[in-house]
Amino acid sequence: MRTLGVFELTGCGGCALNIIFLYNKLFDVIQLYKIKEFHMASSYREEGSLDVALVSGSVSTQRDLEILRRARENSRFLIAIGTCATHGNMQSSLEGSMEEKLERIYGTRDNYMGALNSKPIVEYVKVDFAIPGCPYDKDELYQALILLAKGVEPVYKDYPVCVECKLNEYECVLVKRGIPCLGPLTVGGCNAICLRSGIGCIGCRGPLPKGVNPAGEARILKELGYDDEYIRNKYKTFSGGGLKW
Amino acid sequence: MRYSKLPKENFEAFFKSLEKWGAVYGPVKRGRIYSFEKIKDPNEMSLNYTRTMIPPKKFFVKPRERILRLKDGEWVEECDEEKKVIFGVHSCDINALLILDKVYLSYPEDPLYKRRRENSLIIGISCMPDELCFCKSLGTDFAMHGFDLFLHELPDGWLVRTGSVKGHEIIWRSRELLQEPNEADLENFRKFEDRRIKSFKKELDAQGIADLFDLAYNSDVWKKYEELCLGCGNCNMVCPTCRCYEVCDLWTSPYEAERVRRYDSCFMETHGLVAGGHNFRATRLDRFRNRYYCKSYFDPQAGFNCVGCGRCDEFCPAGIEHVKVLYEIARGRSYNVPILQRKSA
Ligand code: SF4
Ligand code: SF4
Ligand code: SF4
Ligand code: SF4
Ligand code: SF4
Repeated sequence: MRTLGVFELTGCGGCALNIIFLYNKLFDVIQLYKIKEFHMASSYREEGSLDVALVSGSVSTQRDLEILRRARENSRFLIAIGTCATHGNMQSSLEGSMEEKLERIYGTRDNYMGALNSKPIVEYVKVDFAIPGCPYDKDELYQALILLAKGVEPVYKDYPVCVECKLNEYECVLVKRGIPCLGPLTVGGCNAICLRSGIGCIGCRGPLPKGVNPAGEARILKELGYDDEYIRNKYKTFSGGGLKW
Repeated sequence: MRYSKLPKENFEAFFKSLEKWGAVYGPVKRGRIYSFEKIKDPNEMSLNYTRTMIPPKKFFVKPRERILRLKDGEWVEECDEEKKVIFGVHSCDINALLILDKVYLSYPEDPLYKRRRENSLIIGISCMPDELCFCKSLGTDFAMHGFDLFLHELPDGWLVRTGSVKGHEIIWRSRELLQEPNEADLENFRKFEDRRIKSFKKELDAQGIADLFDLAYNSDVWKKYEELCLGCGNCNMVCPTCRCYEVCDLWTSPYEAERVRRYDSCFMETHGLVAGGHNFRATRLDRFRNRYYCKSYFDPQAGFNCVGCGRCDEFCPAGIEHVKVLYEIARGRSYNVPILQRKSA
């Protein structure tokens, strides 16, 4: 029996909840793993080493950093789950110094809660695998956990949302309706779910790790009449500054 | 080849009679694209469609499909056995299927593809090119074989060409609905074809391309397109002659899995990745160039892997035009004569 721990840093909690939302497939997971720590599901907690650690949320406080370090030190394989953990998500897209932000929101520059500028966990520790998405696709996590239990390393998605959009035969809203769609820049795996409803992809899974062309997409969006500011805001919503041109 | 005439007033009855041969699929408009879908009522179809986004290849190699299922420790084959009539296929797409046949039906043949080809009837239909079509330049604007029946539009019906034994059988069984074509029908057929040939707006001298590619490997034109192209793979996903697929195992329980195959694209980072972490197409430039070599260069004796359907142009978010790229390559540094002028040169 392998061991598993789930760790939550700063985020909306949805990515931890998404594990519980595996529903009956969660029983498959507990057939293969003993869950030693999973705060959202149970107050039960056991110290010691883990085969797999799942970490959701971004590092936004000193406490987050401590939890993350503990998860890393105690685990053999660490998976970043969700866009907060993989790319920093919207909280990391806020610019400016910590003092300015504290002043603006709390009216004081004193940092009582040990807040840090939000960053994805990949900026602090080595991550063995990443499953982006806001929230991530829960079957992707299921596949990764079963593979790891069988001693096989999961494989990264190397394709953008466009590929799954075409596999489903969805009309291309960028080409046919001039709707800004970040599908060409965004790593696939969500089965192009937003395009099923004809809504342009807003890039919630973060940019493809390699070969992505933000300047090329910006050129297209400008031709459609969107200005630099609009495009910059759209790019940075989830990517934590990962998309620039 | 046998010709018959299907008068307009008999179309519905003829179409209904096709149901005896299998589930009938035809082109329908969905939003701002066309798609081959199951047809209940012939009026649902848009028979004057330009091109479907996903080509009829999808009936033989599905965009995404389960090919095997792991059950009790054994891999079991999965294949739907539905008999199909694919109605309203354009000549370019029929020719594209013949290109796919060379790949999927050569040893070792793909059993799913083979079974589905055997289980399907192809009924072609004539078309008018739009500004993106260039099949005429590649000789794929007319289907000589690869279909069971082919319907050519006439003012008052269709001239039907028969292309297979099964096609003859359909004609025989529907003989009360068909007539012998007369001189006027043949004249109308010729007129339509004349008008059609004159309507092409895109042209390509396919003859010279293979030579040009020998000289163009380091052309600056590739660099320009590397900047424009998003590497999104849409051009591959919609291409009727693209043959690359990805296979992946997905667990359905800790002990049961399915093996899923889906269309792949050479624009993807790992398409050229091999053991040891080497990637023989590491940059977007390499990958952009590869698609053009795949379509127009490799083994020119065997014919081109492009039928000029215009899908890659229609669905490229960056507005990259296939023929224009080839022209620019031809005009690039190492070669100064445009393709079209080469003929007379
Ligand atoms: S709609 Fe968006 S995701 Fe789909 S093909 Fe077009 S650009 Fe790509
Ligand atoms: S289509 Fe884009 S925004 Fe929608 S779930 Fe997928 S990655 Fe997120
Ligand atoms: S290598 Fe590229 S262009 Fe050639 S068949 Fe494969 S996906 Fe299509
Ligand atoms: S390369 Fe483009 S024009 Fe040629 S067959 Fe493919 S989609 Fe059609
Ligand atoms: S569809 Fe256009 S932008 Fe996308 S990979 Fe093909 S050429 Fe590049």
